[in-house]
Formats: sequence, structure tokens, C-alpha cells
Amino acid sequence: MPFDMLLGAWVATGLTLFIFTFLYEDNPLFKVAEHLYVGVSVGYTIVKAYDTVVVRLIYEPMVKQGDWWLLIPLFIGGLMLTRYVPKITWMSRLAFAFIVGVGSGLAIPRVVSSYILKQVEDTFRPLLVLGETGGVTFNFNLADPTSNVNTIVLLVGVVSVLFYFFFSIEHSGPVRHAARTGILFLMIAFGAAFGYTVMARMSLLIGRLSDLIQFAAPGYGRASIWLLLLTVGLLIAWAFRSPERPTS
Amino acid sequence: MTFAERMVHIDRRIIFLVIGLCTLLPLLHPVGLAINVSPEVRAVHDYIESLPPGSAFLLSMDFDPASKPELYPQAVALLRHAFKRNLRVIGMTLWVSGTGMADQVISQVAREMGKTNGVDYVFLGWSPGVGSLIITMGQDLYKAFPSDYYNQPTSSLPVLRDIRTLRDVNYVVSLAAGTAGIETWYVFGKDKYQFELGGGCTGVIAPGLYPLLRSKQINGLIGGLRGAAEYEVLIDQRGLAVAGMDAQSVTHFAIIALVILCNAFYAVIRTHARRSGQERVGRVAEE
Amino acid sequence: MTFLRRQLPLLITFVMGVVFALQYYVPHPASEQLLTTVNKWLQIIGGFALILGVTSLFHQHAVKIRRREPGWGYSFVLYAGMLLTVAIGLWVNGKETSNGTMTAFGWVYTYMMVPLQGTMFAILAFFIASAAYRSFRARSREAAVLLVAAVIVMMGRVPLGEHLLPISGDITEWILNVLNAAVRRAILIGISLGAVALSLKIIFGVERAYLGGGKE
Repeated sequence: MPFDMLLGAWVATGLTLFIFTFLYEDNPLFKVAEHLYVGVSVGYTIVKAYDTVVVRLIYEPMVKQGDWWLLIPLFIGGLMLTRYVPKITWMSRLAFAFIVGVGSGLAIPRVVSSYILKQVEDTFRPLLVLGETGGVTFNFNLADPTSNVNTIVLLVGVVSVLFYFFFSIEHSGPVRHAARTGILFLMIAFGAAFGYTVMARMSLLIGRLSDLIQFAAPGYGRASIWLLLLTVGLLIAWAFRSPERPTS
Repeated sequence: MTFAERMVHIDRRIIFLVIGLCTLLPLLHPVGLAINVSPEVRAVHDYIESLPPGSAFLLSMDFDPASKPELYPQAVALLRHAFKRNLRVIGMTLWVSGTGMADQVISQVAREMGKTNGVDYVFLGWSPGVGSLIITMGQDLYKAFPSDYYNQPTSSLPVLRDIRTLRDVNYVVSLAAGTAGIETWYVFGKDKYQFELGGGCTGVIAPGLYPLLRSKQINGLIGGLRGAAEYEVLIDQRGLAVAGMDAQSVTHFAIIALVILCNAFYAVIRTHARRSGQERVGRVAEE
Repeated sequence: MTFLRRQLPLLITFVMGVVFALQYYVPHPASEQLLTTVNKWLQIIGGFALILGVTSLFHQHAVKIRRREPGWGYSFVLYAGMLLTVAIGLWVNGKETSNGTMTAFGWVYTYMMVPLQGTMFAILAFFIASAAYRSFRARSREAAVLLVAAVIVMMGRVPLGEHLLPISGDITEWILNVLNAAVRRAILIGISLGAVALSLKIIFGVERAYLGGGKE
């Protein structure tokens, strides 16, 4: 086992266990790991931003390939940083105005096309096909999401939920029934979302524990086991050394 | 305090211990139950199967280390499949903190499958801008990425031969942990440049992508660790995802049991409170 | 001067917004070239936005260290982690691997950043279990519907659930592809309409919060 891998396994295991100590109580081990996490993440972002933006997107195209038009975005980016100079902080507004203006302009037609028109089209198109065939066949197969019965259910769901969220008119009479149907659909969707969220969170834990099991192997010097004992020992020592701590 | 009240106010660290054991024990002693493949995962697999060798496949690994357990197995399975089909693989990421992992997974799988950097695959790395980056790639790939992650000029790489813009890419799959991800690829990419788009995502955002799946804006969706396990079954190369399914099963049933217990205890407390209230009213009436 | 501080930013937002909204419908090569060039610029400007985010974090913890506020030692750990990572990263030109072997920067990423970030989010699994036990009560009809749907999906998405109750998998697929898709579609349409309305308000200068600080 190369030394860097062995050292890495011990460091990774130690840091993982330090974070897990939060499950017992907030403690110095967790705080150290937490602050280290923020520091290393920000440091990584700085390095990547420098390598990608400064070197690959600005320096190389401008100096090595002579694309001096890039002075314009460099100038606009520089204007953004005037936010930290009190006397000329108003100049940063010009940069933000440019970014926000372009961003809004790019977004409007694309969002309308992708999320509004396409979604509305897909809600109604299957119904138009249903009308055009003229025949008496109606697909009742619930297992097929594109069946006729499911298309109707989908339409009812979309319309009723839209009615629920339309607060500009009073929810009374037929609107109230539509809104209450919408609530039913919403509750089912939130239930499904909760189920999936549980699945996702458990998967993250499974991933971390899989790594801890891997690092408990003899090849890694049984890092997980020794560091678990050390962490528990440190927690016990900390718990006994500060008895006047308020209990959680 | 009654038993039900004590149980409702139990120290949460006991629940943590239960969940910890429910996750750990199946990982140490797996059972290996059968995994059914869903149509949305099969759709991604079947589309890659239908691509002729030499087709351009872009895999955008839009996730950070927080989502590694769910999306890394998806990336491994997709890359193994793409390399097995001899597709030209273009790797990249929209998330700066995921760059290292994306580099690692593509290099590792390429090495495993005997593929050469620059000839069979390229890793473009990360570039800022998200929507702007995708638009620039759609207009001119070489303007968006003048060099790859290892500073090789992209215009000279054999793997990118005949690929000028996103229109020339046969299939794009975004493995997403949130924004920026699949929706961004659709709104700023497929909407105008009309490439085929598939998705892989974490369990948290999966339900929100079903409208795009229904309207065929994405042709398939691999959802969470379960989706990764299904894909591993399809390519017949079981890995981390399948290994985690038993633990997933046990923890889900543990949560279901906790929810049922919680409701049962509260029902007992409510019944007890109602009975105590009735007895008190009865005594007052007698007096 | 008032024009430069107040009207010019609004004018820039308006012109840029209208030009790029209309650009979508103009396939002329000059329009496409404009799109390519400006988006390339936005990539570079986006990099500067990262600097803004990082600088505020620098400042917050620097103040804590300078004033020796409670917990300043942890801020020192944060700074040390950040500076060390930056130093190592710049030393290897920002690459995690070199000729197939892991660099020191790659080591920091693989054995520190990945486990730290992964574990931070993994502990949420415990909290979701605890929250489910303490608060997931069927207090009303709607809550009961939510609970039943959650239980069905949790069963249907794992092999054990499909093994014990095969129909749970089919019901889960139906819930996701029909009921959930309907709700998410309605929410997506609603949010998109709101986003478009907000973008139009920004372009026409009705919404100015994005302009932020500084005297007018």
C-alpha cells in the first residue's frame, strides 16, 4: 500500500468520524472538522477559479492567441469588484446591470419555450389525439403512464393544482372543489418527495459507511477501528472535563 | 409518564443508533435481493445501445462530493457502457467542486476499459457560466473549451473530430445534484441545439424531473442509488450501487416502522387523554 | 452623475434584456455571433463573481480572528485549511493528477474535501429518521394521504419492498409518472410564469433590488 494512500485513508476516516461525533453532541472535534471543510472547499474553489478563469480563459487566449477583445469582460469583471471600494461602489451597478440584463434576456424565451409551452403542449396534445381517432377505444391501463385514463388524471391534476395556487380569486364554489382536489394531488406528490428524500439521505450514509468498512481492512491498518476507539476516547475525555456544560 | 409518552420523547440518539445499525449490518452481511428495472432507466440504456460505434456521447457530471454515493456509481456504469459500445466520450462538469471527482471517474474507467485520452475520450473539465457555457458550447465548442483539462488544444484532438457544436453530439447525459443540471442543459442546450438528452440525478430532485420525462424533453432518467443499481444490472456489472441496495431496503423499512410506531404511540396518548378528560367530567358532574 | 449612478444601469439592463430576448428569434449569422461572443464574456465575468463570494468569507473570519472573538481558534483552522489548499493547488498548477499519478492537490481533494463534504450531508440521514419519528403524524386527512403515499414510495423503491409486496413497485411508478408528474408540472408552469414576470420587471426597471448598495 503506497504511503500516501495509507495516510489518506487514516485522514479521511478521522475526519469522517469527527463529523459523526455531532450525532452525540456539538463538540470541538466536530467544529474543527467543520471549519476545515469550509476552508478546504473555498481553497479548492479559488485554485480552480484561478486555473480556469485567469489562466485558460483570459491569459492564454489574450496573451498567447492575441484575443484582446477579452479586455471588455475583464473590465466588466473589474467593475464588479469596485463594490468593495466605498467611493466608487456605484460602478459595480453597471456590471450587475449588464449581467442581469443579459441573463434575463437569455432566460425569458428559453423558459417560455421549455417550461411553459412544452409542458402545456404535452398536457393537452394526448387529448387532441384522443378526439381525432373518433373510435371507441379508450385505454384504461393504469400501468401505462401514457394511457388515456392517465392522461385525463394528469390533466385533472395539473388544472386542480394550478387552481389551488391561484390566490387572486376566492376559493369558493367550483373553485373550492378544484382547489381541494389540488391539495389531494399535492399531498401525494409531497409524500412521494419525502420517500425519495429518505432514499437519497440513506444513500449518502450508505456511501460513507461503505468507505469506513473499506478502511477497516488490514491493508489500511484497520484505520476505522483504531480511529473509532480514539474518537470515542476523546469524546469521553471532553465530556468529563467540562461538567458545567448545559445538557442538550 | 406513560410508556407511550416516554417512547414519544425518547432520546434521539437511540434512533440514530438504530439507523446506524440498520445501515451497517446489511453492508457487512448482504443478501442480494433481485432488482427490477424501471422503464425510465431502461430508456437511457437502450438509447446508448442504439448508438453506432464512434458516436459522440457527452457526460456532464454536475455534482459535488456531497452527492458522490448516488451519482458516482451512475457515472461509472454509464462510462463502462459507453466505452464498451466504443462511443467517443466527452466528459465535463458544471460544478467546480466536482471537477476532481469527474476527472477521477473518467480516468479510472477509461484505464479499466483500455481507452486512450484524446483518442477515445476527452475530459474538458469545468468552466464558469453554466447557462452561458452551454450556449457557447452550442455555438462553438472550441470557444467554450479552447483546451481540455490537461491543457491539450481541443481543436487538435482526434476524439473531437467532426464535432463543432452541441448539435454534433449524439447523446448528452447530465448527472445532476441540483441546479445547474438537467433542466439547465435542456433550457440553454436542447431547446435550441436539438441533441438527445438523458438524465441521472439524486433522489431529492428526481420527482421534480418527471414532467420533463413525460413530455420527452429528456428521454430517460436514472434516479438515485436505486437507478444506479438498475443500470448496473442492465450492463451486467454489479458494483457499489447494487451492494448498497440491501442497506437501502432495511433503512427504508426502519423509517416505515418508526413512522408507524410514532403514529401508534400518539394514538394511544390521544385515547388516554380523551378517557382522562371524560373521567374528570364525570367526577365533576357527580360532585 | 445621477445619470451614471441611477439611469445608466437601468438603461443597460433594458437594452441588454431586449436585445438578447429578441436574439432568440433572429437566426442571422451576426445575431449568432453576438450570442457566442457575449456568452463567452459571461463565462469570464462569472469567474469574477466567485471572487466576490470568497472575499466576504475571508472578511467575516478575519474579523473574528482579529478581535479574538469566542471560537476564533476555529476561524484560524478555516484560514489555515484555505491557505494551505491554495498554496498546494497553485504549486501543482491546479491539477489533481499529473501523468496518471495523484498530486498533493489531488490528495487534499480525495482524502479531505470529499470525505468532509460527503459526511456533512450523510449525517442528514440520521436527522431525517429522527424527524420522521417525532413529527410525521397523521393529524389530518391530508397528512394521512401524505403519509400513505410516502410509505408506498419508500416500499416500492427498494428490492425488499417489491419482494414482499410486488404491487408496491407498480403503484410507485404510477404515483411518480402520473400524480407526481401532474403536480410538478403545475408547479413548474407556475414558477416559470413567475420567473418570466420577474425577468420582465427587471428589464423594464420595475424591480431594482439587484442593483444593490451604494448611494444613488
